[in-house]
Amino acid sequence: MRKIILLVTVFFFITGLLSTSEIWAQKEKSKPKLLRLTFYYPVGVAGPLARVIGEMTDKFNKENEGKVEVVPVYSGDYDPTMQKVQTAIMAGNPPDIFMVEISELPTLLAMGAVLSLDDYIKKTEKGYWEDFFAPFRENAVIGGKIYGVPFQRSTPVLYWNKEAFKAAGLDPEKPPKTWDELKDYATKLTVKDKQWGVTISGGWNDWLFEGFVRQNGGFLISPDGLKANFDSKEAIEALDFWVELKHRLKVGPPHSTWGSTPPDFVGGRTAMLYHSTGILTFLKRSAKFDFGVTFMPQKKTFGAAVGGANLMIAKKIPKERQEAAWKYIEWMTNVKNTAEWSVASGYVAVRNSAYDDPVMKEHVSKNPEYLVARDQLKFANGKMMAKNFQKVREILKRQLDDSAAGKIAPAEAMKIAQKEIQAVIK
Amino acid sequence: MKFNRHLRNKSGLHLILMVVSLITVAPYFWILSTSLKFRTEVFTQTPKWIPWPINIQNYLEMFEMAPFHLYLLNTIIVVTGILGVQLVTITLAAYVFARKNFWGKEFFFFLFLTQMMIPIHATFLPNFLTLKHFDLLNTRVAMMLPFFASGYGTFLLRQAFRQIPKALEDAAVIDGCGGLRFLWHVLIPLAKPTLIAFSIISIVSHWNDYLWPLIVTDTPEVRTLTIGLGMFVQQESGADWTLLMAATAFVTAPMLIFFLVFQKKFVESFMLSGVKG
Amino acid sequence: MKRIYRLTTYGYLLPGLFFMGIFTFIPVFMSAYLSLFKWNINNPEPSFTWFSNYIEVFKAPLFWLVLRNNLVYAFTTIPLSMSLALFLAILINQKMGWVRSLYRGSLFYPTMIPMVAAAMLWVWIFNPGLGIFNYYLGFLGFPKLEWLYDMRYALIAIIIMSIWKNFGYYMLIFLAGLQGIPNHYYEAAAIEGATGWKQFRYITFPMLAPATLFVFIVAIISSFQVFDQVFVMTQGGPGDRTNVLVFYIYQHAFRFWDLGMGSTLTTLFILGLLVAIWLVFRVIGRRVYYEV
Repeated sequence: MRKIILLVTVFFFITGLLSTSEIWAQKEKSKPKLLRLTFYYPVGVAGPLARVIGEMTDKFNKENEGKVEVVPVYSGDYDPTMQKVQTAIMAGNPPDIFMVEISELPTLLAMGAVLSLDDYIKKTEKGYWEDFFAPFRENAVIGGKIYGVPFQRSTPVLYWNKEAFKAAGLDPEKPPKTWDELKDYATKLTVKDKQWGVTISGGWNDWLFEGFVRQNGGFLISPDGLKANFDSKEAIEALDFWVELKHRLKVGPPHSTWGSTPPDFVGGRTAMLYHSTGILTFLKRSAKFDFGVTFMPQKKTFGAAVGGANLMIAKKIPKERQEAAWKYIEWMTNVKNTAEWSVASGYVAVRNSAYDDPVMKEHVSKNPEYLVARDQLKFANGKMMAKNFQKVREILKRQLDDSAAGKIAPAEAMKIAQKEIQAVIK
Repeated sequence: MKFNRHLRNKSGLHLILMVVSLITVAPYFWILSTSLKFRTEVFTQTPKWIPWPINIQNYLEMFEMAPFHLYLLNTIIVVTGILGVQLVTITLAAYVFARKNFWGKEFFFFLFLTQMMIPIHATFLPNFLTLKHFDLLNTRVAMMLPFFASGYGTFLLRQAFRQIPKALEDAAVIDGCGGLRFLWHVLIPLAKPTLIAFSIISIVSHWNDYLWPLIVTDTPEVRTLTIGLGMFVQQESGADWTLLMAATAFVTAPMLIFFLVFQKKFVESFMLSGVKG
Repeated sequence: MKRIYRLTTYGYLLPGLFFMGIFTFIPVFMSAYLSLFKWNINNPEPSFTWFSNYIEVFKAPLFWLVLRNNLVYAFTTIPLSMSLALFLAILINQKMGWVRSLYRGSLFYPTMIPMVAAAMLWVWIFNPGLGIFNYYLGFLGFPKLEWLYDMRYALIAIIIMSIWKNFGYYMLIFLAGLQGIPNHYYEAAAIEGATGWKQFRYITFPMLAPATLFVFIVAIISSFQVFDQVFVMTQGGPGDRTNVLVFYIYQHAFRFWDLGMGSTLTTLFILGLLVAIWLVFRVIGRRVYYEV
């Protein structure tokens, strides 16, 4: 009996050791004939998107059988994916292709980890680059060079519960269009302890906040990522509006998480919700009531910061792998696949001409809500990005959280954010 | 009169125990209940404990979303690998601590004891850098390495060995059975309860590891159940509670089943872990 | 002869020492060494900087908040779980037949499941609008709090959940200790006229001292190691009100990629842990009664 246990443990121990060699073996195998590329990607919305990516990649692999094989690796949400990509880069073993949250680009550049794609783009079909929506392109370009191709992109939108509107005596087909209307409707919709008027979701509240600042005609970080602008009048006013809704009027919860608010909406806990267009599919599948999707209300203008992730290629890999990686990216972002990905995932199709694709056309004719985010792009800008963006986010979110709880005045909070963030992004 | 008071005390006792047990068990029942519901049935204002209609699709869907069967296999490999090497290191060390006298014995024993006080939660960063240096990141071995030495196990086993009378060893040496043979043929079998106790504790504790595997693994090939569950849950709008609860039920099932079947042994093991300390 | 004997003896220790050296002791010195360097995204090559990292740590208000959070967590979970565990252990120790294993199993099983699984479950339970916690608490007259989403209550929610998860294990240790107390002590006391509370104070509690010490130390170490539930339930928020030491280290090392600061924090953490344990042993360890 003892001998058996010993043998079994030794067996497993050896298996464990062997599993290390299997990783090395993979590296060797990919050299001579078949190029096996790894692709780290995040799944940002609920739904079997890992399967969709798998299926699409399978098609690519079939078309390139014997020459290139792409292995997609699901790496969790945006934060864990960025962490894994960075870990791999630091270990000298970067994934060939990866998708990280757009604001991480300056950090990756500082690490010398990202390949510039201008040469490849010049060689593709005419009009390829221009076909991508302009706001999406902004976060792929630094210092005049292109480093990524938009793929999994979104904007925040406003969802509203039509039945709740009816119950509160509001026209269910008329969502608020301005900040004042928002405040007014939210107040009417709030039922103490049962229903919030409007939830501005936590989690990526920094992303939503940037949208509010845009709606007020301002910006938070200069496009080159070097100058912070948090203590500007526009930013302070935007934060003050938040504090009014969340703390003084109490028509919205001061804190929440990115994942808790969609169930809140579906469960009737909140009548309106600021969240990504990416949850639309989830809402449609889970809500028992009629709801609408619209632009985020404007102050001086409609405004939004775009979000999501771009496809990027690692810099420190051999030329032939770079070329194979580009082939994959070009394929994934051709018109047909762009449309297919958008329909399956609920993300905004990143190219203009994707909306002429028949599959897409049919999809939006049945579900016009999916067009709202695209239409809002007219008023959208690139998302703020800078070096050390994770730190920037933490600092900003801290001040947003503290002021929403009434612990600090908006002007004060933004001053602190300005000081700390400017120090970190230089 | 005395009998009535005795009875009242007893029923009070059971009442308290029943209430507390119910409160402790209810959450797990909630996991099972939610996992069997349809998505639209989850967001009700009043909690429905019995799911109706029942939906087992969630359990099937979760395997489509992530390779949980692979995660299970990896967890088993990692846990067994850790235990395997631990048993070797602690047995050898415990033997000399219990039986031999040598220069620096107190010092080395102190080192082993200190190891218990410095958990992986304190050393994960330097250990990560070490593994990175040796290109061992993202392997199953990486998840095992820091745990191969166990001060706790050494300590427990030393206690057990000390219980065995010295006269036995003296007799064995005379008969020509010393050192390793004595260890293998006599000490280990006699210390079986402690070894089993330690094994159970090690298995449970490393099955549930999270921080360390989180840091050193990237890809699904080597991912374990806990990391898989954690990732499953982090999706940007991690709102699919039916799926999440199904995954949670799956991840917790192995240890729980193990526990229910061997409850007596489990309880004995954990109870043993504290008394002799 | 003696020399060979000696060498083989050390040989037995070698495997254990080898792994411990690399993965427990060297890391302590590594992090102490690295804590003297600036090494982050702005300084990709480590540059020597004396103790400026330490100064930076102590100057950051967030560090003190994190420390405070961890201490609040420790000072609430430890006494609460220990007393709950002891109370239930005494109850379960009474004569009762087969029901005992039923109660024991129900109270102990949370120890078997991974913390992340429990955390996920409790996120759902603590959901303000749809969770069962608020629903049933409502019957007792409690207001519906936002729990994990409220800066004032998030830490409390995590504490509640941690107690639920851990008390079963402590209860078992106490149970083992209780079963080790010879019955004749209680009989003798009963003859002398001492009952109930007196018995507890003069027999039970002192005889449980070794078990209590053990549980106490485990509880201390575990409360400073708290990570999994924070990572899954709140990510340190809202407003960093549930940010704890290990999570703080993780943030610096793997979010901000500030390996210099990460090492500094690691070194401080290890020091703090060792000091705390040493203190406990000195102050309490002396008074522990071991029956021969």
